[in-house]
Parts: sequence; C-alpha cells; structure tokens
Amino acid sequence: MDYFATVLISSLSSASILLIATLGLAVVFGLMGVINLAHGEFIMMGAYSALTATQLGIPFILAIPVAVLVTMIFGALVEIIIIRRLYGRLFDTMLATWGLSLALYQGAVLIFGSVSPGIGMPQINFNVGDYTLAAYPIFMILVAVVMLAGIYVLLTRTVYGMKARAAIQVPDMARAIGIDSARTNTLTFAIGCGLAGFAGAILLPIVPATPSMGFAFVIKAFLTVVIAGPVTLAGSALAAIGVGTGASIVASFMTSVAGDLFFFILTVVLLRLYPLGVSAKWRMKL
Amino acid sequence: MRTILSGVCALALTASLSMGTAVAGTKIGAIFDLTGGLNIYGIQQNNALQLAVEEINANGGVLGEPIEVISYDAQSELSKYTQFANTAILRDKITALFAGLTSSSREAIRPIVRKANIPYFYSSLYEGGACDKVTFVTGSSASQQMSKLIEWGVSTYGPKIYIMAPDYNFGTISAHWVHEYATRNGGEVVGEDFLPLTVSDYAPTLQKIQAAKPDFVVALPVGANQTGFLEQFAAAGLKDRIGIVSTNYGSGNQQVVVSPQAGKGIIASAGYFMEVANDQNAEFVKKWQAKYGTDTPIVSGAVDVWNAVHLWALAVNKANSSETEAVINALESGLTFDAPNGKVSLDSKSHHLNQNIYIAEGNEDHGFDILVTFTDVPAVFEADKCNLVKDPGLAEHFTPES
Repeated sequence: MDYFATVLISSLSSASILLIATLGLAVVFGLMGVINLAHGEFIMMGAYSALTATQLGIPFILAIPVAVLVTMIFGALVEIIIIRRLYGRLFDTMLATWGLSLALYQGAVLIFGSVSPGIGMPQINFNVGDYTLAAYPIFMILVAVVMLAGIYVLLTRTVYGMKARAAIQVPDMARAIGIDSARTNTLTFAIGCGLAGFAGAILLPIVPATPSMGFAFVIKAFLTVVIAGPVTLAGSALAAIGVGTGASIVASFMTSVAGDLFFFILTVVLLRLYPLGVSAKWRMKL
Repeated sequence: MRTILSGVCALALTASLSMGTAVAGTKIGAIFDLTGGLNIYGIQQNNALQLAVEEINANGGVLGEPIEVISYDAQSELSKYTQFANTAILRDKITALFAGLTSSSREAIRPIVRKANIPYFYSSLYEGGACDKVTFVTGSSASQQMSKLIEWGVSTYGPKIYIMAPDYNFGTISAHWVHEYATRNGGEVVGEDFLPLTVSDYAPTLQKIQAAKPDFVVALPVGANQTGFLEQFAAAGLKDRIGIVSTNYGSGNQQVVVSPQAGKGIIASAGYFMEVANDQNAEFVKKWQAKYGTDTPIVSGAVDVWNAVHLWALAVNKANSSETEAVINALESGLTFDAPNGKVSLDSKSHHLNQNIYIAEGNEDHGFDILVTFTDVPAVFEADKCNLVKDPGLAEHFTPES
C-alpha cells in the first residue's frame, strides 16, 4: 500500500517534469506550428544560464528568471534571424532548427567543456510509510500546475494573448485590424523559448547541466505535443499526465525499459485512434 | 512593409591539428573523439598520447629517432573510426595504432588492424573479453574491477546487493560479474534495474531499491542523464542507509558534475584516480597540468593511453625494430612499466594489463580519497579465456555465459 502510494506520487512528479519540459514546445509547435528541433538545446541553455548565474553568486531562486530572460532574448534573435523567413515551410524549419541545435550543442561544449559542477538538489525528503521521497521532484507537480495556469491566463485573458492567437490563426486579418503580427510572433516564439529556459533552470537540481541534456527531453516532449493535438495546453497536460504517469508506473512495477516501451507504444496507439491528437474534437481554446 | 534587420550568423569551427615533427621517425596513428558527445574522454586520451610521445622523444625516441604522430578526430562517429583506421594504415603507413573509446569503436577497428597486421592499443575501461593477437588492452576490464569491488562491498556493507546499470553490453556484462562475485563472496543480488540511456527521472528505480532493501547499490551510470541518478539517490535520503559503489563513477569526471552533497561517500573502483600517491603519478600530474592546465581532473582513460604508448615504445626499443612480429614478441615478453597508477605488467597470454585496482571514496571537494589499493590485480576473465601464446589465431570477443 505504501509502495503504491509512493509510486503514484512520484509518477505524478515524473509526469510533471515531462510537462514542464514540454510546455515551451506546446507554445512554439502546438500554437505556432513551428517545429523547433532545437527545443532541447533551449532547455540546455536555460540550465547553463541558471548554473552560470549561481556560480556568480546569485541565489538559485533568482537565477531562474535570469535563465528565462537569457533564453527569451536568444529566442527572439533566432526568430528574427531564422524562423521568420521560414513560416509555412515545414521542412526548411526543421532543417534550420536542427542545424541550430547542433551548433548550440557544440557551442556549449566549447564554452563550458563537457563537464560542469552541478548545484545539487535540496536534501529535503519525507516518508510515506517505509519509503523516502525527495521533496524537490514532488514540488515539480506544483510548479507544473502554476506554469500551466500562468500560460493559460497569458494566452486567453490578456490582450497580448488574443493578438498572439489572431496573428497565428488568421495573419492577414490580424494585420488588417492593426496587429503587428511580425512583432507578436517574435514575442510568442521568445515566450516559448523562455519556457524551455525556465524548464532547464527549474530542473537543474534534478538533471545536471550537460551539453547533451536536450536530447533526453526533446523526443518525449514532441510526442506529448503531437498526442495533444489542436487544443495545445489542456491537451499537453492530459497527454503528459496520461502517458508520463503511465510510463512511470509501468517502470516502477516492471523495468525502466518496459516503462519506455509503454510510452512509445501508447503514443502509437493513441495516434492510431486520434490521428489529429486526443484534443481534436474538444471545444476549448487552448 | 518594414524592412527587416538581416543578420548573418556564421559559425566557423576550425579544428586544426598540428602534427608532424621535423624528422620523420617511426609513425604511430591516433584516432580519438576530439569533438562530439564522447570528447569528454577523447580529448584527454589524445592529450595523454601527445604528452607520452613528447616525453619519449625528449629521451631519445624509439630506435634512436623521434616518434611521429598521425592524429585523427573520430568525431564520436563509428564510421570515422573505420575510415581513419584505413587511411592511417594504407596512406600514412603507421606502425602502431592507438584508438577508440567505446567497445563498438574497438570492434570496428579490430578487423582492420588484424588484416593489416598492425599492433593496436585499446585504452579504456570496458566490459572485457577482447582477445586478438594484434590487440592490446591497457584499460581495466569489468571482471578485474568487480572482483575487488564486490568483495570489498560485501565485507563493508553487508551481503544484499542491488544493481543499477545501463541497458547495453557494458551494463549487462558488468551485472553478470556482480552476480558472480556476489555468490563467491557470500553475497546476494536482491534486485536489478537496467536503464535506457535516455531516462532522466529515477523515481521508479529509487522505489524499487527501497522495496528490495539492499545493503548497497552497484550503480553504473553512463552518460550525462544517468549521472542524475546519483543526485536523486542522495536527495531521497537513501545514501545514509544504503551504500553506493561503482566501477565507472569518475571515469568521465562525474565527481565534478554531481554536487558535493551527492558525491560525498560514493565508492568508486578504478585502475587510476588522480589522487593516487606515488612518485610517477606526482610527476605525471605535474607535466599534465603544466601543459593542459588544472581545470579538469585527469581521467583513467588518459593514463591507460599513457601506459599504452610507453609499453609500445619499450617493446620497440627492446625488439630493436618496429616490425609487427618483433614488437608483438617483445610485448609478450612480460613487459612491466612504472605507471602513474602503480606498476603495471602486460600479460602475454591475454594481452591485458595486470594492474592496481583502487577503491576510493568521493569527498566534498569534487575529488576522491583513496581507501584501499589492491596491487597487481589480473584481468580475471580474460586470463581465463584467452591464451594468445598457445593459440595465436584466436580472434574473439568472449562474453560470460549467464
């Protein structure tokens, strides 16, 4: 019974970690339709920004906004220099962002070397019966919920949110009524990158900063967004909780390989049943 | 329409490798991963080779002439290993090859050097079992390290063992040796989990460990993601009641990556730690740091290459020839070398090194304190299976039957 309770709690935390890593992509890919294969490297950039900030003596809690700012600025530059020219050209975008991911990866190796000191997790833990759980990963459940709510409010309840969705859904009409769609898209892309940077920073205690850390996240993040379908935010949340928790529970009772298998097989099955994503028939905005 | 600021982003990465000395002497080839994901090891391997050659050349080289190094960057890609091995042999006419990190790279190179009949040195810790007349292994094998680590673990912590290993041959073969040596030392494996290299969240494994209630965990994390396991293990508060030991922790400077809280108390066993105290090592570290700086601790793979180059040079000078047959005969003549990791001797039958195995404990300063030194440990499994003196035609990769 205790075992089942701990499995459930920690599986939810696994799903939350997946969701945190995915939300930036949900905005960039789910909302804007830009396949950003460098998403993992933006997570990596966030992690290194936060790490560098802490090494300069900034407390970790303040290093997180620094990381978000750095990745947002870089994201905006990437949008202006590369992505803007490639809207609607799916394969060109993939190729460009993949190239970007390789350059960023090797850049990180050149700047930071292949090993950097980690910052460690807060050594706080609590007991469920005979079992001990680290507190920080469990705290990620709360972070994921707040993050999700924040993005939802930003995109549905603010003027920027309306403009952003208008600029993407009907660009011509948006321009006709006076929305500077180019600038809005830059900001939206930057926010997506900032979210990736946030993920890298907040997960830094759990996943140490290394040049290759992006690879671990990017595949599952993409699959989650693809499963989610058109209702990006709610869909991603459901997909992450469903597939992520399921995979983690399977891993707990069987093996980690079985957990991964479950993740990918479930993805295939879901896409067979809902080719446009699980949220294809939902009547929600995001 | 607004004019858009156009920017050109050009990233030019030029890797120039200076090579070649003024006088052409005996040529050796070096193929290591200087770029890409494996360069965490490859750069140090290549640095060690250059340093060793410099030292040998300063002392008169081999056969009275300086050694010339032909160096290639394998870019962490297997296909580059075969390509450059062929180039180095056919075009550059090397007389010995020093190359490879992963077992797959060694297996890609082995048929090429065998066909060309060129002595080949593989310098990395690995799962063990390579047996080939022209191949010489200077790293430690899984059975070599496990034999001492499990014995030590069972007597220090208790008999119950849990295995956390990567899901490929290094992990599964290492796990086999854990089982084997657990039985021999009165221990028992109470659980095991093989993990894909992409897993970054270890909550399920941590629960299984707690359910199995082991006395200690044998953790063999490979790659950046699996290093997170150690962090999560410590944060869950398990380190206080469950020991954690490893044969590869530190081999890629993982002790620098993990936080001091998580790294303190982790037990590692290896053929070399930078903290090893002897005169050769003090001199080696001094030379290394004078040339390459003090930023990154020296990994065991670097010393394995250093030893390989020196053993080869000893053999060439002893044979008074760089011809393959003469060099291999000299290498099989019971060569010994005073290495940074203590005295090593080349086993003529298995082509593996008898060498010290150190057991060290992670400290709070991203470093190690050496606890125990086992001297002159043989590569147990390879010495048992592989006799290249009796059967020079062998070309095998032995795996233990489980």
